[in-house]
Amino acid sequence: MTEEGISPLPYLFWEIMLGLAYEFDWGVLWRNPYGMYLLQGIWVTIKLGLIGWAIALSLGVLIGTMRISPWRWLRFLGTAYVELFRNIPFMVQLFFWYYAGPMLFGASLQKSINSIIGLNYYVAIIALGMYTASRVAEHTRAGFSSISRDHYQAALSTGLTHPQMYRYVIIPYALRIIIPPLTTEFLTIFKNSSIAMTIGVLETTFMSYKIDSETFHGLESTTGACLIYLALGLAVVRLMGMLESRLKIPGMIGR
Amino acid sequence: MFDAVVNNLPFLMGGFWVTVKLMFFALAGGIPLGILVGLGRISRKRWVYYPVTLYVNVIRNIPLILVIFWFYFVMPIIIGRPLDPFPSAVISFIIFEATYFGEIIRAGYQSVSKGQIEAGYSTGLTYIQTTRYILVPIALRRMLPSMITQSIVTYQDTCLAFVIGLPEFIRRARIVDTLEVRSIQLFGFVAIVFLITCYIGSVMSRRFEVKEQEGG
Amino acid sequence: MIQIKNVSKWFGDFQVLRDINEQVKEGQTVVVCGPSGSGKSTLLRCINGLEPFQKGEITVDGVSVGDRATNLYKLRTEIGMVFQRFELYPHMTALQNITLAPMKVRNRPKKKAQDHAMRLLERVGIPEKANEYPANLSGGQQQRVAIARSLAMEPKIMMFDEPTSALDPEMIKEVLEVMIDLAKGGMTMIVVTHEMGFAREVADEIIFMDEGTIIERGTDINFFQNPKSPRTKDFLDKILI
Repeated sequence: MTEEGISPLPYLFWEIMLGLAYEFDWGVLWRNPYGMYLLQGIWVTIKLGLIGWAIALSLGVLIGTMRISPWRWLRFLGTAYVELFRNIPFMVQLFFWYYAGPMLFGASLQKSINSIIGLNYYVAIIALGMYTASRVAEHTRAGFSSISRDHYQAALSTGLTHPQMYRYVIIPYALRIIIPPLTTEFLTIFKNSSIAMTIGVLETTFMSYKIDSETFHGLESTTGACLIYLALGLAVVRLMGMLESRLKIPGMIGR
Repeated sequence: MFDAVVNNLPFLMGGFWVTVKLMFFALAGGIPLGILVGLGRISRKRWVYYPVTLYVNVIRNIPLILVIFWFYFVMPIIIGRPLDPFPSAVISFIIFEATYFGEIIRAGYQSVSKGQIEAGYSTGLTYIQTTRYILVPIALRRMLPSMITQSIVTYQDTCLAFVIGLPEFIRRARIVDTLEVRSIQLFGFVAIVFLITCYIGSVMSRRFEVKEQEGG
Repeated sequence: MIQIKNVSKWFGDFQVLRDINEQVKEGQTVVVCGPSGSGKSTLLRCINGLEPFQKGEITVDGVSVGDRATNLYKLRTEIGMVFQRFELYPHMTALQNITLAPMKVRNRPKKKAQDHAMRLLERVGIPEKANEYPANLSGGQQQRVAIARSLAMEPKIMMFDEPTSALDPEMIKEVLEVMIDLAKGGMTMIVVTHEMGFAREVADEIIFMDEGTIIERGTDINFFQNPKSPRTKDFLDKILI
């Protein structure tokens, strides 16, 4: 039963917008050179997200598997990695790797590292990958844990070896369980890529800031950037949704 | 070895204090707003449900940095003069974190069995009373571990106020770094402080999770 | 065939099996009953090496389970096990569930494995469900597929851990019928169950376990009618209406 009603919100919104003494200039979103800035920014954001995700997935699944392995020192390493990268804010990690990182290599290497063009871009990708990997590891571990012990034992009881059990029974099952949380992480990595702007990476958010500094129309440029992230988000959800339906197991509890 | 940190400790810890203040205000506004957002998301009234859902879905897809920027530019237009970084940051955080708390609390609402709500109505309580005395308290108690986790996320997110120049913890570390170039010490220090505080927070959250399962 | 001598097992500080002694001869059907937590399920898992045990010896067809040198994977190909919640692999059809182990462990060619699997499905009464996923099968059907899956490796021994406890009442019969059929066909079986009708029909020996020890043993009639221990009597009173 729905109660119909008219929301007062749209009226409020337009009243505010029209009563302002601000001149909108939406042209900043496509006029030269600003349109180009934005396009370059989008391309960098996409690269940051995709390459970072590739690193995060491979590293994350590995670490998640380490955390449930029967060897104690492997489990410890996995847990240490996750706790370290999870409890420190991403921006702090980024600053550490970018500013302090080269210093860790000693004075001579430090100079050559710092002279790499686009260093901030490479550091951002690696930092993003390593940070997100800790989250992927947690989802992987949760996926494995949600499979009942009896299920592992049922597979073993037919004579399968441990590697065979993981390969044919457990991993295909776990992978399908973790697709929804992985979708969220994939979305998050694009959002976190915006933090790279703090070390000067020329991605979408940085570009919207740059347009503002040149035209003082930050409202339009940041709104444009918002729309871009929204579009990216929709694309990711679509993509992962397609993946999920292709891999769907009949009857499995999905969303 | 940690001389850069020690020499600048008051300055740095002043930044930490700003961080904590920002988190506090963000939570003080974000959680109550989140309670309302959650209610809006389970509302059967279309004029409540759709705007709230739109708000939540838009904000959750946008990076926090962009929200911070957006408010920094929007606020001056609406109120006619530029805003200080701290209030601007607080408002951005409240609006942003309310969506995340809202979704967590919404899950809490949905976990409260219909029977308990009906019991409330059947003893004569109004919607507001049932919500206030039955629905919200049960939901909050159930979602306490998730809310602690999200509060830790908020705490970590305060770093992002860096971009509008707020002199919080990491901004001050960066300021000292540009002067003294002792990056390893300085950012290492910031990292360690966060590591310890967040780890303690997550341990607390896990303890509440266990308590919740035992007490039910 | 199976010899269990002085077996004790601890989970941390908690002792779950206390000095268990038992022998199961070839072709026998042994039913194990008792309250939850009595260690029955754990005992089964010790026999096929899924759970380690700290004291004692278990010998299966001459192979010592506790010996470090024993190849447990090989041992498990000779012992089939059926679980309370069926545990069918959800991402595979019934047929694929059954053929996985023969193909990967015994390296059977696909066609042969499938033919064998179809014969097993016929034996358990649901050949038409070969290409269905577990989610589309009823509980009773899933459990029968699980039995076929264990039989696919042609084991010498079959163990059942409360196979009908998770089933709706109307499906219990179809599973028990398959099990009775197996028992009458000469399979060596250990069955943990509360289905006393099944026990009366095919059990050569009934064991009552409580708190990690075997309280009483009997062969069918006198077990039910004249239980010796008061604990056994108490338990039987509760489960037999």
